[in-house]
Amino acid sequence: MNVQITEEELAALMKKAAGITVAPELLRKQPATPFETLGLDSLGLLGIVGELENRHGTPMPPDAERCKTPQAFLDLVNSALMAGA
Amino acid sequence: MSATEERRAAVTGIGVVAPNGISTETFWKSTQEGISVLDRVTREGCQDLPLKVAGEVRAFDPAVVEERFLVQTDRFTHFAMAAADLALEDARLGQADTAADPYSIGVVTASGSGGGEFGQRELQQLWGKGSRFVGPYQSIAWFYAASTGQISIRRGLKGPCSVVASDEAGGLDALAHAARAVRRGTDVMVAGSTEAPLAPYSVVCQLGYGELSGESDPARAYRPFTDAACGFVPAEGGAMLVVEAERSARERGAEVRAYVAGHAATFTGASRWEESREGLAQAVRNALAEAGCAPEEVDMVFADALGVPEADRAEALALVDALGDHGRRVPVTAPKTGIGRGYCAAPVLDVSAAVLAMEHGLIPPTPNVVDVCHDLDLVTGSARVAEPRTALVLSRGLMGSNSALVLRHGDR
Repeated sequence: MNVQITEEELAALMKKAAGITVAPELLRKQPATPFETLGLDSLGLLGIVGELENRHGTPMPPDAERCKTPQAFLDLVNSALMAGA
Repeated sequence: MSATEERRAAVTGIGVVAPNGISTETFWKSTQEGISVLDRVTREGCQDLPLKVAGEVRAFDPAVVEERFLVQTDRFTHFAMAAADLALEDARLGQADTAADPYSIGVVTASGSGGGEFGQRELQQLWGKGSRFVGPYQSIAWFYAASTGQISIRRGLKGPCSVVASDEAGGLDALAHAARAVRRGTDVMVAGSTEAPLAPYSVVCQLGYGELSGESDPARAYRPFTDAACGFVPAEGGAMLVVEAERSARERGAEVRAYVAGHAATFTGASRWEESREGLAQAVRNALAEAGCAPEEVDMVFADALGVPEADRAEALALVDALGDHGRRVPVTAPKTGIGRGYCAAPVLDVSAAVLAMEHGLIPPTPNVVDVCHDLDLVTGSARVAEPRTALVLSRGLMGSNSALVLRHGDR
């Protein structure tokens, strides 16, 4: 099964893990906006990585929690999920 | 506190989130009218526990705090953020003022129980599902220091920040710490305590306290200084104060509401209430000495009022030990019998009430208490008209700390 994380899913994870509200549309149109600018701190991203690992039953790359932007994060986790599929 | 005049520590703002009011105005109105809001415990998961009565902050609207902080922090920090906002607003210190010199403003809080509700949720994840299901914010949200850190982050306050973990009396110690920071050169400190110990895990922790009241009638559950004393009722909520260098306050035209004039703390051991007499008396003597205040100058006392006969007797005797005959004559009050005892937050609410009492010329009563069985002039029934210009606030912790704080009147 080839699962990919969408902007919708990332936005929902940001809301659940850190209480950050961001429109999926913004993540799509401006994917290079830093997480910091969106209000997501490193603990918040760590929580999202943990949630993804639990959901998909597979470890994410160590660098996932260090990604600075939604674009870098989605690229990394989606290629990891692709490789693991 | 023998500081130069211009670095005297002044109270310029008060922010209250209490069981009897989530603004300073409603808190004072309820307090001076002697309204008791003690009631059956209704917090989720707590109803079937042996603790039956508490002071809950039912009117609190979490929406005053941004969603990210609601998710990332515990209820005790939500209270702290709301109270800090109210205090800074009361002191007329807006975002633009604090942003102009963020290093001149610090934060100090006291905490007795930390973030129990948040911690319980994550620990249930740990034992129910496994370590991978514990959220990362657990690493900070339940710590004693969480409220200090989050207020600092949220308001951009970059001055000295710390937490005092010294038992319930830590609420007074935090205000004294703020006054010291002011004397050492920090212009403004946001200082105080809020607690949220009414979650199942936290309540179960308290059930081991022999001093906790098990009475189920709210009107009878917390009656210190009477023959019917059967322990204390816990509470949530608290207060944050703006403690500021007098010069800073004068320069920006802010009103000085009171001065933090003296403080001292002692330690006499957990639940050793007879010994607390000596510890409390010594704290009072040292606090008065630091304030340059004679015993006769004390116009009212906000008592610790634990509600345990041995502890109440020790407190009444300590007042006479430290103040002489004046200890039998000075008006004593314990408004916390109407709202419960919010651990570290309790003495900060007492300090808030003391400042308001000096401003309004009214000593608030001790709700639910009649027939005092100790040799002291406890204000009961209705508020007493007076002109209090100096207040003594006392606090003891279940683990053995004793503190005394002396307040002098401000501009009003």
